[in-house]
Amino acid sequence: MTLHGGVRQAFERVLDPADVLSDPVKCRAYECDGLTGYRVRPDLVLLPRDASQVAAAVRVCHEHGVPFVARGAGTGLSGGALPVADGVVISLARLKRVLEVDPVNRRAVVQPGVTNLEITAAAAPHGLYYAPDPSSQQVCTIGGNVAENSGGAHCLKYGFTTNHVLSCEVVLPDGSVVTLGTDTNEQAGPDLRGVFLGSEGTLGITTSVTVRLLRTPESVRTLLADFPSVASAGDVVSDIVSAGIVPAAVEMMDTLAIEAAEEAVHAGYTVGVPAALVVELDGPVEECDAQFELVKAICEKHGCTRLHIAGSPEERAKIWKGRKAAFAAVGRISPDYFVQDGVVPRTRLAEVLDRIAGMGTDAGLRVANVFHAGDGNLHPLVLYSAAAGETERAERLSGEIAELCVEMGGSLSGEHGIGTDKACSMPKMFGEEDLATMHRVRHAFDPDGICNPGKVLPTPRLCGERPGKYKPHPLEETGAIERL
Amino acid sequence: MTTTTTLRPADLAEVRDAVRDTPGRLAVTGAGTAANWAGELDPVDAVLDVSALTGVVTHNPGDMTVSARAGTPLRALVDELAEHGQHVSLDAARIADGATLGGLVATADSGPSSLVYGTMRDLVIGVTVVLADGTVARSGGHVIKNVAGYDLAKLLHGSYGTLGVLAEIVLRLHPVPQRTATLVVDAPLAQAAELAARVLEGPYEPVALEWVSDGSGRLLVRIEGTDEALPARVQRLREVLGGGDEAAGADDPWLRHAELTRGSPEAAVLRIGARPSVLPALVSEIAADAATVGLGTGVATVSLPPHVVAEAHGRVHAAGGTSQLRYRPPGADAAAWGPPPSALPVLRALKTELDPDGRFGPGRFSPWM
Repeated sequence: MTLHGGVRQAFERVLDPADVLSDPVKCRAYECDGLTGYRVRPDLVLLPRDASQVAAAVRVCHEHGVPFVARGAGTGLSGGALPVADGVVISLARLKRVLEVDPVNRRAVVQPGVTNLEITAAAAPHGLYYAPDPSSQQVCTIGGNVAENSGGAHCLKYGFTTNHVLSCEVVLPDGSVVTLGTDTNEQAGPDLRGVFLGSEGTLGITTSVTVRLLRTPESVRTLLADFPSVASAGDVVSDIVSAGIVPAAVEMMDTLAIEAAEEAVHAGYTVGVPAALVVELDGPVEECDAQFELVKAICEKHGCTRLHIAGSPEERAKIWKGRKAAFAAVGRISPDYFVQDGVVPRTRLAEVLDRIAGMGTDAGLRVANVFHAGDGNLHPLVLYSAAAGETERAERLSGEIAELCVEMGGSLSGEHGIGTDKACSMPKMFGEEDLATMHRVRHAFDPDGICNPGKVLPTPRLCGERPGKYKPHPLEETGAIERL
Repeated sequence: MTTTTTLRPADLAEVRDAVRDTPGRLAVTGAGTAANWAGELDPVDAVLDVSALTGVVTHNPGDMTVSARAGTPLRALVDELAEHGQHVSLDAARIADGATLGGLVATADSGPSSLVYGTMRDLVIGVTVVLADGTVARSGGHVIKNVAGYDLAKLLHGSYGTLGVLAEIVLRLHPVPQRTATLVVDAPLAQAAELAARVLEGPYEPVALEWVSDGSGRLLVRIEGTDEALPARVQRLREVLGGGDEAAGADDPWLRHAELTRGSPEAAVLRIGARPSVLPALVSEIAADAATVGLGTGVATVSLPPHVVAEAHGRVHAAGGTSQLRYRPPGADAAAWGPPPSALPVLRALKTELDPDGRFGPGRFSPWM
């Protein structure tokens, strides 16, 4: 079934008709996000130009029962912006204005299509910056960061998107517009902003975001250290934390990731070493200097084979360029790869990496690791060749790794979200009552189930069904199963 | 008057049974330190007292996380964690009075160090909650970075026991700083605000920046760090402040700060949040007997006569801020809430979904719901 002409006309009444795309070829550009294995061509793609047009478009969806999926830059890696076949995609790409930078109150108000790095660029003249920094920060948008509660390397010390968003203007699934959150951390009543953040576009569409800005630290010290084993690098992380130091970032890369990154950007990494750490401290110069000496000593104690200290901002940028380019760089050493995103308690890093290596060997596939070691957020990259028929095996291994993280006491996702990719793994992490409660929360926001259906929660109950507006499963109709 | 039943569950299963097997309306209580906060409770059929629901469930020192039962007093937890050089980075005034973990989450409490560490919402990484129908739901977990599923802890944060009973809470921990120092400068509010702006513009990284007034005004600036580095930082801070005495020994100005946020038999306490740039003028407009003003956080706590509370709510709202009653003197009639937020229909829908019969905390959000 496709959307009938009346619905399309209704959208054309609230948007410029040229901003309502129905040409299948044009719509194809929106058929997936960064998780390219899942593709669904939407019936229509809407390109609103401002918040009122977003609200008007959602009202049309509400009136006609049309499911909608909001989309920013499409950099998501979990299929969170996967369209619904009989629905519309609402692109926020045109809402890309920085509405206000308020240096006195250290905050900025931006539209959802503004990229993460553009916020910092707008704040920089005032000596301020926006702390959460996903590796894709040059291209990913704040709207997507809000949807996924995205993190990044500096979240260990500074917290995640949810800790830096003060409020959001949100179009609810019935087309009404509300503000969630306030100008401060103080709110009257339950923290709805906190529920909305990380809800992966299933509770509404944000049309403006007020973020907290931080003072650019006085001093930043960065080092790159090589280690003879992943375990020794992991011990360094534990010792740093035990010493009462909260680094701005601690990133770890293994042999394959180092090789790929070095080949791509020549950041000065040592090819062939089993593990490398990027440790960054920031803060007042006196604190930074004192703690940096301690970090160096800890690295040496654990058999560091090379310690490279960034001597200039350029050298620091180079180290980070290698780290942030690592995902894309893996494309140089493998025709295809899946990026997985799971979290384990930091103390189990060495154990879980060992298990992953074993699982890779069993599956006959290579796994590269580049991750946020400080907070246990792994990003195993499962390398494969689609041409060699390895896709299914790689997909299975990737899913098993995510579920291993849960078995280790961690989480299915640290920053990329559950999306379409891992909705069916949610029962591994949560019980029926947990998921049923999340359904109730979702129902309060979206009683008709039209807002990004099929994402996050395993709905329809039996995974494998096509996402869309709820329709009873045939087994449900016979009474054989029950919908919670 | 009917006799109210009090239930004292000691574990999660007992909480669930108590909720499921007790008909009617329920109030949740812990240490009772916020009993007079928010809206006044309507009569209930039973009180669920979680003060026996105590103790650490799991402490992972290497991962700097801890889970504890909701009735655990935070100060008891702090004592236990201190052995490992860790703490919960929350300095709300009523922790000293025995406030429980669950109560601190349910009332969205925080203290001056929320400037850096945030409120309880920023420290809670997992919860187990019992809903009105006996459903036991869990979200989050023991890792600080976690985006799987909806963050139910946030929903419970500030819910004043109206959406569910918090049974277990997982927190992220921070290292206890090696050293802490506070500089005190006598200054009226306007001057303190100027000094605070100067501190915030520079590389001083205060963890708390508060003006306190109970007659005369003082600016308190707290920094924390290492033994090696802190003395030099204190000196730099003193230079930008143009002086200031370092608080030492028994004369802890933060104790007085905490005291001022508690109210008195005659005075109501209003908690205000507004952009830091408008907060000093706003507080000056309100006829406050005493005040603490977070010049970086934008959060103020003011003591005022109950009969002017409604007007104060209006002024805060007009300034784009938010306010809630933090203490109602016995017998006083003071409005708990100001004008409702635009998202009130969502709040009501959530209440209907999670507690369709309106069992939990009736009156707490009156007149909103």
